[in-house]
Amino acid sequence: MLMQLSYNWLLVLLSFAVSVLGSFTALQVAVAIPLATNQHQKTAAVAMAGGAMGVGAMWTMHFMAMLACDTGMQVTYAPSLIALSALVAFAAGAAGLMLVANDRFSWLKLLGAGACIGLGMGGMHYLGIEAMMMPAVVRYDTELVAVSLVIPTIGSMIALWLAFNLRGRWQMTASALVMGLALCGMHYTGMAAAGFYDNDGQLPDGYADGLRSANLGLTIFAIVTTLLLLLLVLYYWRQRYRSSLSI
Amino acid sequence: MVELEIQVLSDRREGLLVELGRVVVANSFSLIRQRLTHDSRGAWLSMIVRGPAEQRLALEEMLGTHSRVLSFEAGLFGEAAVIAAIPAKMAAGISPLPELVPEPEPPAAPLVAVMPDVAHVEHILPKLAQDYPQIYPWLVALENSVDDAVRESSLMLAGRRTGAWVYKRDYALGAKLGLADAIKRIAVPALRALADIEHHHVHIHILNSPLCAPGVRSGCKFYGGYLEGLLGASIEPKKVFVRHLSCRSTGAAHCSLEISH
Repeated sequence: MLMQLSYNWLLVLLSFAVSVLGSFTALQVAVAIPLATNQHQKTAAVAMAGGAMGVGAMWTMHFMAMLACDTGMQVTYAPSLIALSALVAFAAGAAGLMLVANDRFSWLKLLGAGACIGLGMGGMHYLGIEAMMMPAVVRYDTELVAVSLVIPTIGSMIALWLAFNLRGRWQMTASALVMGLALCGMHYTGMAAAGFYDNDGQLPDGYADGLRSANLGLTIFAIVTTLLLLLLVLYYWRQRYRSSLSI
Repeated sequence: MVELEIQVLSDRREGLLVELGRVVVANSFSLIRQRLTHDSRGAWLSMIVRGPAEQRLALEEMLGTHSRVLSFEAGLFGEAAVIAAIPAKMAAGISPLPELVPEPEPPAAPLVAVMPDVAHVEHILPKLAQDYPQIYPWLVALENSVDDAVRESSLMLAGRRTGAWVYKRDYALGAKLGLADAIKRIAVPALRALADIEHHHVHIHILNSPLCAPGVRSGCKFYGGYLEGLLGASIEPKKVFVRHLSCRSTGAAHCSLEISH
């Protein structure tokens, strides 16, 4: 029997806010990658931007949105798949941002970066769904799955174009909003593509050892706090950089 | 094959050797040795280069018109004196470098006069940074403090340095842009902080510049330098050139500049 999902709209909004915050932080770091003067600086900037994008914007948004979703069952999460999904998100975010920020901007690089982020977001999302342990099985609508991969690919291309080609206040706010929409669009389309069917109460192996919502909530809190700290450090560093520039 | 001794003066040393080295290599010359020094007038780059004799004029032409080059001299290596070759934008030459030239001729007044007054410009630059974008009083002070003959080149140098600084401060984050996009997204908003302007493709009209009031002879040079400094780093490796089409100081309705690369 197909189970109905219901959402806590406050948490849905918070998932969007987290996605925008992560995207904003990631893009703030990413647009400075072309200014790196050596490989060490570039690697550090890519890692920071990839972390903010993958773990902050994608992974945290996904699991906050999962907390917003009431399946009507007690759900736990397989720790190994959760860790793998975070790793996929980080790798995809870092690869996408490194691609678009390295050397001169081009449409081909933008397409590659969009594909990295789009497919990475999809991979992370469906790994996250696979990580769910509950007395139900998941079946997918393949057309909606395909749509859920196209949305973040195109959305992230638009966001990256805005971030790297505009200047001024719209450069960061518009691109972060578009990226947040793209990632959330992927997630909720992906959820619409998934049907949760009751399996007569059969729990998977390891169910009792899985991560619970409270664990996820704490992890999300830690990541959001880290993102905010990173933004604060960036703001402070940029102010110092601006005042240190000699005319 | 010929060996040339080349001396170049630029307003700043950052990236000078790399940029001019590219020009040397592009003309099939190789760099044998070089020296980069700095004094009150700017950065001096001395180079000994070797290459085909038939490329000599092309090399000298490219160096002489290079946007980083304020003045330039070249001659066969080992000659008693280096022949001065002056970029088109400069009205006359400069005195040769003492390090490489045995005994320079006493510089004639008009030759020295076309050099920007680097000392005055350097003195005013921190004040421009401090009060930006309310910088007109300082620019007018600069205008009045330098000789008539160096006014335009000094304002141009001040403009270049200010433009490059504003770019690094406010517009450096992001990708390099094409000329049209760089004008629209960088030059226009940056220039709007300083003056009322109109923008039509590669043309910018400055409507009310206090630097170009009738009878004042700055000739919009500050804005030209400002745009070159602002856009130069944004669309590199191409060079940006600003042509002055008209100026209020000569009776035109507004000051008009054309940007190209």
